[in-house]
Amino acid sequence: MGIFLVLAGIVVLFELVGWSVRGASFLFNAQRLLVMVLQVSIIGLLAIGVTQVILTGGIDLSSGSVVALSAMIAASLAQTASARAVFPSLVDLPAAIPIAAGLATGAAAGLVNGNLVAFTRIPPFIATLGTMVTARGLARYYTRGQPVSMLTESYTRIGEGALPVVIFVAAAVVFHVLLRYTRYGKYTYAIGANAQAARISGIRVDRHLVLVYTVAGLLSGLGGVMTSARAASGQAGMGMTYELDAIAAAVIGGTSLTGGIGRITGTVIGTVILGVMTSGFTFIGFDAYIQDIVKGAVIVLAVVIDRYRHRDAHT
Amino acid sequence: MSSVVKSACLSVILLVAVAGPGCGAASPREPIIGVAMAHFDDNWLTILRTAMADHASGLPGTALQFSDAQGDVARQLSQMQNFVTQGVAAVIVNAADTSATPGMTKIAREARVPLVYVNRRPAESTLPPGVVFVGSDDLQAGTLQMEELARLMNYQGNVAIMVGELASNGAQLRTKAVEDVVAKYPRMKIVEKQVANFQRERGLDLMNNWLTAGAAIDAVAANNDEMAIGAIMAIQQAGIQSRNILVGGVDATPDALAELAKGTLAVSVFQDARGQGRGAVDAAVKLSRGESVDSFVWIPFELVTRENFKSFVNR
Repeated sequence: MGIFLVLAGIVVLFELVGWSVRGASFLFNAQRLLVMVLQVSIIGLLAIGVTQVILTGGIDLSSGSVVALSAMIAASLAQTASARAVFPSLVDLPAAIPIAAGLATGAAAGLVNGNLVAFTRIPPFIATLGTMVTARGLARYYTRGQPVSMLTESYTRIGEGALPVVIFVAAAVVFHVLLRYTRYGKYTYAIGANAQAARISGIRVDRHLVLVYTVAGLLSGLGGVMTSARAASGQAGMGMTYELDAIAAAVIGGTSLTGGIGRITGTVIGTVILGVMTSGFTFIGFDAYIQDIVKGAVIVLAVVIDRYRHRDAHT
Repeated sequence: MSSVVKSACLSVILLVAVAGPGCGAASPREPIIGVAMAHFDDNWLTILRTAMADHASGLPGTALQFSDAQGDVARQLSQMQNFVTQGVAAVIVNAADTSATPGMTKIAREARVPLVYVNRRPAESTLPPGVVFVGSDDLQAGTLQMEELARLMNYQGNVAIMVGELASNGAQLRTKAVEDVVAKYPRMKIVEKQVANFQRERGLDLMNNWLTAGAAIDAVAANNDEMAIGAIMAIQQAGIQSRNILVGGVDATPDALAELAKGTLAVSVFQDARGQGRGAVDAAVKLSRGESVDSFVWIPFELVTRENFKSFVNR
């Protein structure tokens, strides 16, 4: 696993610089380890979804916007009765209702993506780009840009503490197992490796594509629920550019954009690398103007190192 | 304007894409002032727009005609040209992109139509006669915020700054003002300064990172309320008594006023949308009558504290 070495290298670098700048360990701090993953756990959920889409040879650009739309819809149903602005007549609803609404919103967006990709023959890039723009528009239109705040405690509790990390890890385990050991996974890899061959060998490619995009949408919906619970607010600007971080995490983790190659474990490490960089830059007090320049370079470098080692192993 | 007329106007504007002349509620004799807004759907700008409409309806012989650039500079430029060709008495521009203002200034000067920029400060350092800016000074927002935090800190301790967006003029000026205030007091020091993109989740993550880095922070000066609320949430979730770390924001949003009521937010700063709206209309009317107006009309920011926040609830 070349990418694991990249992660280790980045951590060691921050550890060394950290000692000289702060006089404390970067890595050996339980609280910081939690924060590192916590801050990328929602991007991680999206990354797990987009990894599966990329495995089929597609792409999902809509995930960040779907986070915003799901967050808005879930939050509007999670408002306390006293502060309720979107649906004034309702009483405090149990958290299950806004959660279900958020998940359903995400799944519906994924369903649209899947059907566009499977049945209109337009490239996934364009189909999900359309959904990206439309979902963001819907999120803004829903309350005319107004934030939806004052959410019930039973709802915000699901975004507190380490729970987002637990959900991220649980989702990773579930989809790791599904991809490696079930027919769902075999079909996904087969379609990405060669859609024509998959079709000839009897896989109902169109139906499976719809399923994979819907799963990705569902994970984005979950991301929206977690984001709004965490921030105790639903806002139309949420999840901005998350789709790109999610794709970056998948690709850093060794997922091939041409489809058929990639693993959830790699995506998890890719996600953690993004989190480590954010925490590390803050830890060493790195100039904010330079952070993104370095982050972009590290993303490319990580993939280059991984590919280089990958080629070594096979020749 | 009745809401029916208003929505009819809006649909026509949206359909034609550029503001078509002939859709004003004004009688033909009344001089019309064209108002080119950057966004119709932005929360704060909606208050500004409503304030201008309300103020104009109270001035005999003054009618406003609005256009929505939807954030697009090119669209705004053509809307402004339409106003000028239509022969309006004056134009008020809420710039979609402040770097594009020299072009608008030129159009107005060539047509000899008075021009008032509102809220967003034009790129030019000096404005020609007949062109004025009505708005608030972001330096003042940062100064008010940090002076109040400094007073609450007894003029000693460590300050962390949450910067909005690196490219945002408002964020840069507010940050600079905070730094200038801290520099005045020898027993105060800026220990951290990072970007959180004006977003609540980013503020939450950033504060988490600071807390785990073990920096002794006595006050957080955030460029807006959303990031400040994120910081408050991180402090609360870390189990630290919030009164130990003072948090200040800017905007006096409803969410921020609720935090002030709870005592978790120490200070916010109110940007007077109604004041700016009234000021812009007054300046446009004066200029159209040939009276002179200062090139820069500053509408003061106002300090919002735990003591006086109630008076801002309905403003």
